[in-house]
Amino acid sequence: MQRVWTTIAGIAITALAGNALAQGTLRIGMTAADIPLTTGQTDNGGEGMRFMGYTVYDGLVNWDLSSADKASDIVPGLATSWSVDAADKTRWTFKIRPGVTFHDGSAFRAQSVVWNLEKLLNDKSPQYDPRQSAQGRSRIPAVASYHAIDDATVEIITKIPDATLPYQLAWIMMSSPAQFEKLGRNWDAFARIPSGTGPWKLTAFVPRERAEMAPNTAYWDKRRVPKLDKLVLIPLPEANARIAALRSGQVDWIEAPAPDAVTSLTKAGFIIVTNSYPHNWTWHFSRIPGSLWNDIRVRKAANLAVDRDGMKELMSGLMIPAKGVVPPDHQWFGHPRFNVTYDPAQAKKLLTEAGYGPNKPISTKVLISASGSGQMQPLPMNEFLQQSLAEVGIKVEFEVVEWNTLINIWRAGAKHDNVHGATAINFSYSVQDPFLGLIRHVECDLAAPAGTNWGYYCDPEMDKLLGEIRNAFDPAEQTKLLQKVHEKYVDDALFLMVAHDVNPRAISPKVKGFVQARSWFQDFSPIWMAK
Amino acid sequence: MAAITDIGLDVPRLPAPRVGRGYWAGVGRRLLRDPVAVAAAIVILAIVLAAVFAPWVAPADPYRASMLRRLRPVGDALYPLGSDELGRDMLSRIIYGGRLSLLMGLLPVAFAFIAGSTIGILAGFVGGRVNTAIMRTVDVFFAFPSVLLAIALSGALGAGIINAIASLTVVFTPQVTRIAESVTTQIRTRDYVEAARASGAGPLAIIRVHVLGNVLGPIFVYATSLISVSMILASGLSFLGLGSKPPEPEWGLMLNTLRTAIYVQPMVAALPGVMIFITSISFNLLSDGLRSAMEVK
Amino acid sequence: MASLHAMLIYTLKRLLYVTPVVIGVSIICFLLVHIAPGDPLSAVLPADATQELVDQMRAAYGFDKPLPVQYALWFWKVLHGDLGTSIATGRSVASEVMRAVGNTLILATVATVIGFTFGTFFGFVAGYFRGSPLDKVASLVSVLGVSVPHYWLGMVLVIIFSVELNWLPPTGAGPDGSAAWRPDAEHLRYIILPAITMSVIPMGVIARTVRALVADILDQEFVHALRAKGLREFGVFRHVVTNAAPTALAVMGLQLGYLLGGSILVETVFSWPGTGFLLNAAIFQRDLPLLQGTILVLALFFVALNLTVDVVQTGLDPRIKRT
Repeated sequence: MQRVWTTIAGIAITALAGNALAQGTLRIGMTAADIPLTTGQTDNGGEGMRFMGYTVYDGLVNWDLSSADKASDIVPGLATSWSVDAADKTRWTFKIRPGVTFHDGSAFRAQSVVWNLEKLLNDKSPQYDPRQSAQGRSRIPAVASYHAIDDATVEIITKIPDATLPYQLAWIMMSSPAQFEKLGRNWDAFARIPSGTGPWKLTAFVPRERAEMAPNTAYWDKRRVPKLDKLVLIPLPEANARIAALRSGQVDWIEAPAPDAVTSLTKAGFIIVTNSYPHNWTWHFSRIPGSLWNDIRVRKAANLAVDRDGMKELMSGLMIPAKGVVPPDHQWFGHPRFNVTYDPAQAKKLLTEAGYGPNKPISTKVLISASGSGQMQPLPMNEFLQQSLAEVGIKVEFEVVEWNTLINIWRAGAKHDNVHGATAINFSYSVQDPFLGLIRHVECDLAAPAGTNWGYYCDPEMDKLLGEIRNAFDPAEQTKLLQKVHEKYVDDALFLMVAHDVNPRAISPKVKGFVQARSWFQDFSPIWMAK
Repeated sequence: MAAITDIGLDVPRLPAPRVGRGYWAGVGRRLLRDPVAVAAAIVILAIVLAAVFAPWVAPADPYRASMLRRLRPVGDALYPLGSDELGRDMLSRIIYGGRLSLLMGLLPVAFAFIAGSTIGILAGFVGGRVNTAIMRTVDVFFAFPSVLLAIALSGALGAGIINAIASLTVVFTPQVTRIAESVTTQIRTRDYVEAARASGAGPLAIIRVHVLGNVLGPIFVYATSLISVSMILASGLSFLGLGSKPPEPEWGLMLNTLRTAIYVQPMVAALPGVMIFITSISFNLLSDGLRSAMEVK
Repeated sequence: MASLHAMLIYTLKRLLYVTPVVIGVSIICFLLVHIAPGDPLSAVLPADATQELVDQMRAAYGFDKPLPVQYALWFWKVLHGDLGTSIATGRSVASEVMRAVGNTLILATVATVIGFTFGTFFGFVAGYFRGSPLDKVASLVSVLGVSVPHYWLGMVLVIIFSVELNWLPPTGAGPDGSAAWRPDAEHLRYIILPAITMSVIPMGVIARTVRALVADILDQEFVHALRAKGLREFGVFRHVVTNAAPTALAVMGLQLGYLLGGSILVETVFSWPGTGFLLNAAIFQRDLPLLQGTILVLALFFVALNLTVDVVQTGLDPRIKRT
């Protein structure tokens, strides 16, 4: 691991040392089954934002993806600064960056922000797009209303004071209103010739097969104009196909290589790049009446039944065993009292206490996907969990669906028909910001369709804590409160806490200049290809 | 994937004289003199016996996993055929896997044999409008290539062994029906059947005495040629995730879950495919042998 | 060769015959959505659909109306080329399917040609020299063809030729995707492995068929007579070929049809962007409109192909009668 980091650092330094004429084409094999939605608010989760969000588009707020050693935090994007009104904490003012143009040449102004928010939130507006709205609406639950004060200022009013608004807005990509008008107000046409403000322009697009991008030389951040000639994205959801594609030279970079292939890849000269990042791989429990997971003893028993170190071996070391919902070295971890470890005897004891045993067996169904951004190696990992739980007496059956389908089912909530009787869903979460990491899963008001509290969990005590976080505009205070929330998560065993990913990618040695940030997103601008 | 050949060519030529007891004895003798068919039969018998007596034959528990002993190679001290991606003994899983794979290969054909023969013999014997109506309906199913129909039905019904068996039964029944109808129509016009009719025998009696004995043989032979197709289709369904589900040992599913293991233990990853291949080819060779033994030249 | 007039009559008769079959096929495709477990409406909607979308879909599909009425509505739309909208991508099913069909046709055609070439070779050898060791070997190869799980063979070929030897690419239809497909050397490299994998079963089937045909023809009395009259071996050979050709070609045509419909396994292994790949996606994304539309188009292609083979074969050899 140390060696990999030094190698990356070395490469980064060499790149900085000056390579103004760097060129080349980088071909990337993604785990997504199709090219992510190209109209702005993309799908396919984190991978979609990584490849079709922050590449072709920007948000008011962006992420700092320049360092591999520090946590990645939000930085100004299309907004140069923002502030909240001291008297009325629901009033936010965003200053718009001057001189920014969309790929089609039209100017980016405060009105463009309003237009894009309407695209997601107002189904009566001509630009409303149900597909983008389905992806974006649940990212910005705080937003109540918005308007442009002038060409360079936007005011956003939140429903209640919410300190996490900037984190929410980082998800919202800005599509070009002018392009939309030019193409006859048709999102399908826009998808083929999209226009954003991002460092990359989409130049070619074959659905389900490939997408090609070229640098946007007029990008507003001159330090991030891409060095490559061309970036090519190829969907390769099947792990074997990805590995074969890399090994045979068909692509230069693959996301999430199968852990089993790591040895053969390194032997063949490829580099496995990893880094810790705010990620959580878990089973999200359903808490609707009748669900077996409503009994805390069952939840704790399940957590104690998993041999996480064994699973780490299964993953060729490419994972961090979970002791909570955020990685153990995360600033919100706190000091929970429930020790998440491998103790099958205790698990069995708890289940007996809960009334289960050989006479009253316990069995249930769980929804899983076969691949997906952040899902790591879902099939072997889930099979491992199935095995572990069977050993303490919990019989689990799986329903395997495709990644985008799983996302839809997750958004629709545990009461929806499409759940087919499952009581848990295997999902991976970003814990990059308070809302994404902790709030959205447990707030009473955020059950479907208003939000993604999939399990319909509701605890007034938790809601009280979450309310306090919203009003904590002081970072230190916010962190202390987040620790308390995390401790409650762990002590109440709200999820099945399993693992944290290390963001592995397998890269050809010809790829230079890549700095793997501690984030779900990456910056492709500094990359260049050696001959 | 075709059921061996175009149907029109496959209709067996029935022997000219009436089939009597001596006929089947003759078939048996000819079969035993065919070394290839005998070898195939022995292989099938071995696989079937191993599957039936799996709890006694298999050295280990096919569900017992061990993370520390994942993907051991073939010939390992503990695992004669290696271990899979979760550390389970491959030899045991192959033996137990035979159960599900054979089941998913044989049951649909068996059900199709029963259903198809019934419908086809009926259509062939009755003839006329009823025949046309039945056969046209069967034609509709023939409009779908087998793989497509199997996947369409499985895809709509959802994954699961029962659903897979149901889909495959629906796929094979029309094929058996067509053969049954064709062969029965040939018999119906034979002299002795006409004679029996003329002498006032009831239809059921005629069917029982004259038709069934002559007709079931060729239908049966055709059905055996479907077994290998059924096994490959069933394993294909599991490979796509539409048949059996983890952690069941089944050869097609094992091929699926062992895919990435190809980079670590290619031999282990290839094993389930080899088993499907061996079983499939044995059934085909046996079916061929049966067919030549039945054709009296 | 039959007269043009007779051919025309025959074709019309077959068309008439095929019409109820087509309707039957459409009924089965229509029913697919309804045999899926759960509410048929949820099968055609994204899980997080808004109430507005739900109402829209209900009106469009008419799920509250009686089944025959629903079928009529759906069929009417199909006749106008509207196969619905894919749930996963929001694009029209018709456009997705048509693009994919083109790709599969290319692959299936190449595979059929390979299968036919090797199949007739092995079948001929086996039939001509039947009973001899040559026959045994050739027959064995044909049985191998129909017994091997071809998707597994595909995986093995990828490991050997792509990963280990780096000779051929493992996935995809071409360096720029399938939209830019041209029959040139570069694209040939992409198509070889999937085509070979796909050709294995047709090869086996055609070999077995040709063997049976050749053996049959050679057995016939007048061949002995021809030989007795002194016709040289080449003459006999030509006789066999002309007699076997129509049926062999018919089987080849049918195999092409089977490949068109049954390509899903091979296309999954090679990520070949054809109808099989699309079907796979449709199943796992629970995209029932896409599944329905793809199957309908494939089945109709198959029916059309069967019809063509039927007519051509009868045209070439009117002695072959089909009830």
